[in-house]
Amino acid sequence: MTLTIDRQIYSDVCVSKVVYWLSAQYAIERSLNGNTETLSIARNDGKFFNENQLKSQCLQMLNDYKLRQTIDDETRDIRTILYAKAFADDENLTLE
Amino acid sequence: MKYYLLPFKFTRLGDHEILVNEVGDLLYVPIGTAEQIVNRTIEDQELYKTLVANFFISETRIPALLDVYAERLAEKKRFLDDYTALHIFVLTLRCNQLCVYCQASSQDECVSHATMSMESMRLAVQHMFKSRSKYLTMEFQGGEPSLEPALIRYGIELAEQINETEKRHLTYVLCTNSINLTDEVLGICTQYNVLISTSLDGPSFLHNTNRGKQDSYERVVKGIAKAREVLGADRVSALMTASELSLNYPTEIVDEYHKLGFTSIFLRALNPYGKATDNADWEAYTDRFIEFYKQAFEHIIELNKQGHVMIEEYAAIILRKLLTPWCTGFVDLQSPAGIVNSVLIYNYDGYMYASDESRMLAEEHDYTFQIGKLSEPYENLVYSHKVKEWAKVWNNETIAGCSDCALQAYCGADPVRNHTTQNDLYGFRPTSLFCKKNKAIIEYIISCVVDRNEELMPIFRNWIR
Repeated sequence: MTLTIDRQIYSDVCVSKVVYWLSAQYAIERSLNGNTETLSIARNDGKFFNENQLKSQCLQMLNDYKLRQTIDDETRDIRTILYAKAFADDENLTLE
Repeated sequence: MKYYLLPFKFTRLGDHEILVNEVGDLLYVPIGTAEQIVNRTIEDQELYKTLVANFFISETRIPALLDVYAERLAEKKRFLDDYTALHIFVLTLRCNQLCVYCQASSQDECVSHATMSMESMRLAVQHMFKSRSKYLTMEFQGGEPSLEPALIRYGIELAEQINETEKRHLTYVLCTNSINLTDEVLGICTQYNVLISTSLDGPSFLHNTNRGKQDSYERVVKGIAKAREVLGADRVSALMTASELSLNYPTEIVDEYHKLGFTSIFLRALNPYGKATDNADWEAYTDRFIEFYKQAFEHIIELNKQGHVMIEEYAAIILRKLLTPWCTGFVDLQSPAGIVNSVLIYNYDGYMYASDESRMLAEEHDYTFQIGKLSEPYENLVYSHKVKEWAKVWNNETIAGCSDCALQAYCGADPVRNHTTQNDLYGFRPTSLFCKKNKAIIEYIISCVVDRNEELMPIFRNWIR
């Protein structure tokens, strides 16, 4: 089956993470043409699979990873500060 | 709605979502909540307040209580401040049993070449005190370590002597099959308050089949009774290992522990080392173990409801991570991983290894996790190039498949298992059976907490006290 993805909506990171998890069961070929990425998906063992179900699963995973990406992007700085305060040796580390 | 996101992870669990913050606090919410939070479309004011109070969002760019949150995060990783606390001394591969699943490649008790020298013991004890941990646990393993009482006594006496100036909190543990707990061995245990950790796989027919001996069960039960009589019941604990055969008997195994007066059980899966690697199909074993775990767990819950104390130790570890601000000392579910950080192995062969599983691999001629000779300086060993390379892959916060996982705070990284099962220290989570098993069990325990809260929380509170 093939799945087309608008890369203006879903980043390379999001698509890569979906491909990562699916690759246990599926062989996936990626091709990028402009802002459209096409995934060509086949079962590793050649068995039949429900394409609609897989498509729905892929879209859900893409949406979840997009959300996670947003959370990561928006919280990168505060996370760094949090970890620095938790683990930095300098007890005088302050935000002032 | 104006607010700032704080780092959190989410995943679906049944018909809900779970949201988990950086310290493992969990919220069980309707599906779509993570999206509402990110899109700033939360309508439920109670949810909004809960999210603020639990560090999922902040009304200011820098949360007012950031220092408190940072201290909580540090507390969750406090095991790192403890340095290496668990020191395992593999005294010998000699053993008096023939366990079908032996992971340690034990050998006949008559062999003479597989026992630690007194010199290696001396070096090992000195290395142990190089760890800056205030708490040192000296655990004797094998083979069957009780076959080497002179080594045990020498090791403990040397540790006691060094500790006169070091002043650490020392704990001694003898991991024994209890088959041959002689007066000499129990005398050492009495003199130095040594804890006995024994192994019992379940009822007679199951234990004897697993151990490859017809009278093993009777002898273990006698050994346990003798140890309890001499040392006290609270000084003797037991572990089970689930062989393929064991998976058919979840309730019988729990009942056996209850019958023998144990108040806890650790439902422990086989690991792919030693003879256990003969297991035909690890994927099928893992699936069956997960079902076995759930059945045994439910039976344990029933016992608790009937007023009997019976703790499932693996669940108790997960529950402590879920429900308390503290970290656990369980080295198999840590990030950074337990290897070197929390445990070091001094093997009978005169070498230091990264974990118990690492020395098991060495018996299969895989020396990947052999750190170096005990005769080398401690600093050269634990700060070696090899260990620094492992450090790149021992955090589940940074490795693919784990870094996004909502269960990350309750799980751990295991480069040794990755190497063993996938020939890759980094590991590939989509086919990792370590990941599959832990995910299934952690999700199951979370569902118990959120779906059966009233029914199970009184029991769980007792388990994590």
